[in-house]
Amino acid sequence: MKKYDIKTTDKETLKKWYHLMSLGRAIDDKAPSYLLQSLGWSFHAPYAGHDAIQLAVGQTFKQGEDHLFPYYRDLLTALSAGMTAEEIILNGISKATDPTSGGRHMSNHFAKKELNIHNVSSATATQALHAAGLARGLVSYKKPGVVFCSFGEASTSEGYVYEAINGASTERLPVIFIIQDNGYGISVPKHEQTANRRVADNFIGFKNLKIFYCNGKDVFDSMNAVAAAREYSATTGNPSIVQANCVRIGSHSNSDKQTLYRDENELAYVKAADPLDKFRRMLIRYKRLTEEEVKQIEEEVKIELKAANRKALAAPDPTPESIFDFVLPDAYQPQKYVDGIHHLTGEKITLVTAINQTLKAEFRHNPDTFLWGQDVANKEKGGVFNVTKGLQQEFGSLRVFNAPIAEDYIVGTANGMSRLDPKIRIVIEGAEFADYFWPAVEQYVETTHEYWRNNGQFVPNITLRLASGGYIGGGLYHSQTIEGALATLPGARIVYPSFADDAAGLLRTSMRSEGFTLFLEPKAQYNSEPASTVVPEDFEVPFGKARIRRPGTDLSIITYGNTTHLSLSVAEQIFRETGESIEVIDLRSLIPLDKETLFESVKKTGKVLVVHEDKVFGGFGGEIAAIIASELFQYLDAPVKRVGSTFTPVGFHKNLEQAILPNENRIYDAAKDLLNY
Amino acid sequence: MEKIGIFYSIDAVKTATVAQEIIEALGKDNVEIVSVEQAWKEDFEKYNNIIIGVSTWFDGELPTYWDELIPELSDANLKNKRIAIFGLGDQLNYPENFADGVGILAEKLTGSGAKLTGFTSPEGYKFEYSKALKGNQFQGLIIDVENQNNQTKKRIKDWVKTLEFK
Ligand SMILES: Cc1cc2nc3c(=O)[nH]c(=O)nc-3n(C[C@H](O)[C@H](O)[C@H](O)COP(=O)(O)O)c2cc1C
Ligand SMILES: Cc1ncc(C[n+]2csc(CCOP(=O)(O)OP(=O)(O)O)c2C)c(N)n1
Repeated sequence: MKKYDIKTTDKETLKKWYHLMSLGRAIDDKAPSYLLQSLGWSFHAPYAGHDAIQLAVGQTFKQGEDHLFPYYRDLLTALSAGMTAEEIILNGISKATDPTSGGRHMSNHFAKKELNIHNVSSATATQALHAAGLARGLVSYKKPGVVFCSFGEASTSEGYVYEAINGASTERLPVIFIIQDNGYGISVPKHEQTANRRVADNFIGFKNLKIFYCNGKDVFDSMNAVAAAREYSATTGNPSIVQANCVRIGSHSNSDKQTLYRDENELAYVKAADPLDKFRRMLIRYKRLTEEEVKQIEEEVKIELKAANRKALAAPDPTPESIFDFVLPDAYQPQKYVDGIHHLTGEKITLVTAINQTLKAEFRHNPDTFLWGQDVANKEKGGVFNVTKGLQQEFGSLRVFNAPIAEDYIVGTANGMSRLDPKIRIVIEGAEFADYFWPAVEQYVETTHEYWRNNGQFVPNITLRLASGGYIGGGLYHSQTIEGALATLPGARIVYPSFADDAAGLLRTSMRSEGFTLFLEPKAQYNSEPASTVVPEDFEVPFGKARIRRPGTDLSIITYGNTTHLSLSVAEQIFRETGESIEVIDLRSLIPLDKETLFESVKKTGKVLVVHEDKVFGGFGGEIAAIIASELFQYLDAPVKRVGSTFTPVGFHKNLEQAILPNENRIYDAAKDLLNY
Repeated sequence: MEKIGIFYSIDAVKTATVAQEIIEALGKDNVEIVSVEQAWKEDFEKYNNIIIGVSTWFDGELPTYWDELIPELSDANLKNKRIAIFGLGDQLNYPENFADGVGILAEKLTGSGAKLTGFTSPEGYKFEYSKALKGNQFQGLIIDVENQNNQTKKRIKDWVKTLEFK
């Protein structure tokens, strides 16, 4: 027996639905007029033709329990789920009080944190990964509710949609993926996206997943399908898909012109299938509402929209001064080791042991910690480099577990799960080797945007660990260090310790801080003698504090990671040969950067050599050199020099690797050049 | 023979054109046209012989004017009524849902007690799947004006001869 139909659904419900649908459509129809008056809403993707499915998702969404990830066409979904007309317009015209983002994010991206209507990217369907992550959080914390995640059919071509659905199927996560199928991805007809007309059929083989099909233009069919999907996912904990057949009555967005690729005949069919007209006709034909009652609702909507519009127009605009707010949240501030330096003596431990012990200590300290990645936990195996050894045995498989070979999924689900509760801290091994991280860069970008984009309402609390760099004869994909590329993206801290104690201290700070930290580990040093140090049990290193590993007066070497050790031995060698004294500064943090320590050193020595393992061309050292050249020019006695890799991939044969990566000879020559300048 | 009520949308140009040819083949005087947009339960109950015209839209859906009638038809008493369905579809562009509308209505109408007549052979059509098929027969006449319009006249002529009306 179908739950909803035109004959039996109660009148008040029908009125509420018609009201929501009319109000949504009135806003949708009005949106272009804001642009015409230069008031904003310069991105508008009209939803007309998706009315019934959107109404149904919003009505089925259980406030206070469920979570919703809408997409840019989900105006009515957001309204139906509880946002007000005024809030929708505030987003449309990018006001400072826009609940999505305070005008930071594109228009037509509707969110409201208090309602668990999540802020999503405009990169199509990336929210699928967040939805899976959030559902994992619901399962972990044994919370009721489901996660709705909506997107268009063309977006399912994205690989990460498959990652999300595979993950939800494997982990048995209560996510309802709503596929709103209007037949087009902008101008591309769906037969050019995938072979099945019903894209949901591509997922038929996924276990635990149930697919529901509905006419997304029919209110009752959509309500019944979404209700059935919610029932299935809520009671079994499994994922489902609702494939809703819609039509796109308008162009893709205001920057598209559909008459360039759709003929009059087709557009006539589409118009005839208008879901709002259909619902209105049925209300009257089946004598559920009179013409007068329907008209009264339409009049109410006009008045309501007018009032909402007036209020929204009066709202303040965002100010230019606010741009630096919410790039990164305040970090945890160490109390005992304020500069991240200790003087403990005793037994040294390796870098890998230091990380492993700190992870365990933090997991004991905070029960809301989680860790996942590839190969991180199977009996005695704890990561490709044993960094996570013993964690799953001690903390259980709910907190420490393996992820599929899907780097984007690893990162995206961390972002999603973070949304459940600000107390959660997640450590992910983003890839087995830093070079394998590239498939996840899309989610990396997304995570760096998050806090800023939602105007400080939510921040993903993630420590992203990556075993980085070469000197192990690893060849391509096993030798790269990727901080140069990632440092161009605001919204993440980047740390790169070279010693065991700094690794422990920075990891602890990362795991206690709010926000997103990229934690790069020089894997060649995991078990090396030079990187081994004494590590105080409670050691902490603040972000943005470099460490002078060797004081000196004649030349400053600024470095981090593997090359810290090379630079230290060059400094020692030169000192023994000539007595010249080189200061070696280990940056430890790239973002934030400790300009104070660098500047003090440069003012003292007047000469700078920047050394890192990454390529000289385009590497992070270029930024350091530029800062020094532009801000400390008057203190310099020589040009700023740089040593790093050649502008090539890292070769496998040791002759090649040696020719490519920086070594002591190259650092020595550059240092001598500068000392003799 | 009793009068035949023929139900279709007068605004659906292609369906209406095919309907006109069927009416001619049956003889104008034997047939009364009922516009689906205005039709209600009583209009169906009035006739013992009924012809229904339905095309297929949007990956196997009924045109909205038929879809809107479904709840009403579910309650109609169509016992002992003879109903023949003709449907338009495009086998080249929609081979996965070729003329599904015919199948959807056939199921609803038989569910309300009607007896269907005018089944045809799928020979000569090329498609992957169709809800119109039951066993090895279409549950009505399938017309593809987009791809096989040259056969439309003959298909209609042959079909009307097979209709078992009272
Ligand atoms: C948007 C659209 C979707 C269609 N979907 C189907 C379909 O799923 N199956 C099918 O057999 N024909 C489909 N057709 C083809 C129509 O049924 C065919 O063009 C028919 O002649 C239309 O008749 P009408 O205009 O009288 O409704 C579709 C046509 C359009 C324009
Ligand atoms: C990752 C990414 N690639 C491309 C785009 C540009 N783009 C925006 S919407 C869109 C079409 C999406 O179509 P569909 O998923 O079917 O949803 P619809 O817009 O039709 O509702 C494209 C290609 C984007 N936003 N993100």
